[in-house]
Amino acid sequence: MMQSSTSLEQSLFDSSEEFALQLRQVTKSYDGTPPVHALSDVTISVKHGEFVGIVGASGSGKSTLLHVIGTLARPTSGSVFINGMNTDGMSDGALSGLRSRDVGFVFQEFFLISGLSAVQNVANGLLYSGVSEAERLRRSEIMLDKVGLAHRLTHMPNEMSGGEQQRVAVARALVHEPSFVLADEPTGNLDSRSTESLMELFYSLNREGTTIIIITHDREVAERFPRQVLLKDGKIETDSALS
Amino acid sequence: MVKRDGVPANSEPRSRLSISDTLRTAASGPRSRKLRSALSALGITIGIAALVSVLGLSSSGSADLIRELDALGTNLLTVEAGQSFGSGNSSLPVDAPARIRRIDPVYEVAAVSKISGGVYRNDLIDEGRTQGLTIIAADLNLLDAQRGSISQGQYLTSALQDFPAVVLGAVAAERLGITELSTARSVWLGDEWFVVVGILNPLPLAADLDRAAIIGYPAAERFLNYEYEPDIIYVRAYAEHVLNVRSVMSATVNPEKPEEVEVSRASDVLEARAAAQSTFTNLFLGLGVVALLVGGIGIANVMVIAVIERRNEIGLRRALGATRFHIAMQFLTESFFLSAAGGLAGVMLGIAITVGYAIIQDWAVVIPSYALIGGFGSSLIIGGLAGLYPSVRAASMSPTEALRTR
Repeated sequence: MMQSSTSLEQSLFDSSEEFALQLRQVTKSYDGTPPVHALSDVTISVKHGEFVGIVGASGSGKSTLLHVIGTLARPTSGSVFINGMNTDGMSDGALSGLRSRDVGFVFQEFFLISGLSAVQNVANGLLYSGVSEAERLRRSEIMLDKVGLAHRLTHMPNEMSGGEQQRVAVARALVHEPSFVLADEPTGNLDSRSTESLMELFYSLNREGTTIIIITHDREVAERFPRQVLLKDGKIETDSALS
Repeated sequence: MVKRDGVPANSEPRSRLSISDTLRTAASGPRSRKLRSALSALGITIGIAALVSVLGLSSSGSADLIRELDALGTNLLTVEAGQSFGSGNSSLPVDAPARIRRIDPVYEVAAVSKISGGVYRNDLIDEGRTQGLTIIAADLNLLDAQRGSISQGQYLTSALQDFPAVVLGAVAAERLGITELSTARSVWLGDEWFVVVGILNPLPLAADLDRAAIIGYPAAERFLNYEYEPDIIYVRAYAEHVLNVRSVMSATVNPEKPEEVEVSRASDVLEARAAAQSTFTNLFLGLGVVALLVGGIGIANVMVIAVIERRNEIGLRRALGATRFHIAMQFLTESFFLSAAGGLAGVMLGIAITVGYAIIQDWAVVIPSYALIGGFGSSLIIGGLAGLYPSVRAASMSPTEALRTR
């Protein structure tokens, strides 16, 4: 019984190499009375080059899903494949290495380090991947140019607008050429104009081949996404790719 | 697109952080919080400065003492009458100096005797007001035996010792208000005016003589009705034989009652002084260690606060691929930086204090290398201990918890 279900799964997800991310029947529960089931039986596959929006109201399990996709938290059951690699049973150190190579995070609060300039903040995206400092800075300058901040290289975070800071954060998420960019409410702290231009940046990056996964509660923002996954009560309600 | 930099996408991924990047990362924390970092390092600075300067000062001081001992010599023996059995004071035989001269390695023998009576500025002063000054009759070679020197005027000579001439010890001159001899000065020695012919510099090996008015034996007999009897005999022997000389001294001086002769080595007193000084040194060293501990607790405190404040940074770094070990090393290294900076400043401050005080005291500056190495080394140890708990705490924080903003 067990055997057959495993072989069935394997046939379903055979050519895993073409996926940037796969979640298979992922469940995440938190201990307590009663136990909280933040995610139940979530299955998502994201191909390289896709642009996916995961939309859900607060309390729908969005944050937990973000953490599980980003390998910051382990699922209670089910499997997470990143770039075709099964993360089950990976050590904490190996997961860290995986993040440094394959995941690019963008956070709602930007999380730039205040004592570092824009280019140094971007270079932090490569800090843990064993690239020399000169090379990190070289690639970071190119990346800042790409997000339209070539004139802001040496500016400190507090000298930049919110929109600019988030662009620095996007550059940081991209500088190590991850398998996908994982953005958590990236426009949550931005005004409508900055939101518009940041979304434009994401679209243009996607056109150039970057896989982008955005988690948001904002249906308006998500409306234009090529693919939308609707999350409700820890379950996937609809997935526009499957309908 | 999937395979980059020649690394197959499916190989086991690993985070890497070079040593130079670890140092750079750790330095960014204190750099962006300069005042707080400086204050937290200050405790270590004070502790290390205390340790280095105490060790430096005691070394410089004892080096000075050793130099003084070398100059004065450790081969001076002092022979006195000790306690006798039964009643009455014992005394040295009259021919004791002559007997001592017969001991082969002895090359200098100078006797002095206390003479009753006080020393006064003039004959009107009440006899009770002696100011603690005494009259002493001495041989002409006393100054050679003591390796003393004249501050003003001259010492007694064979010509002067028959006349009412007196040489004042350093303290005696000061108490009598006689500081210079350009005009003739006299003092009243109970029965007679004596002309002051010289003033001595302090004699470190015989402080009693500093408070004395020194006259010749012939003058004492002639003017003060004194009958010869040596009280203290200062003996110089060749240094390599001084212990042998000491061992035969009592029997030589008084073969009948050797137990009534007390022989001591004057330099022992100075050595005792050095030992007393080291007690103080230990006390201050203890205080320095306490300051160091307090400094270490200060750094631990600042690091704990840093870990709490920079929770988001920790979460971000974990998201960027830092392992727990990288996070621990970042905070541990930061703690090392704080304490090493404090330690370095402390070592330099300690050197400055030592040099400054040594210049004031006219000492040669001696700072033992173990004080410098030990001072800096202990600051590193303190830094490591202080950073241990905060860095483990930072490393064990779960990334999702650390990224929370509320």
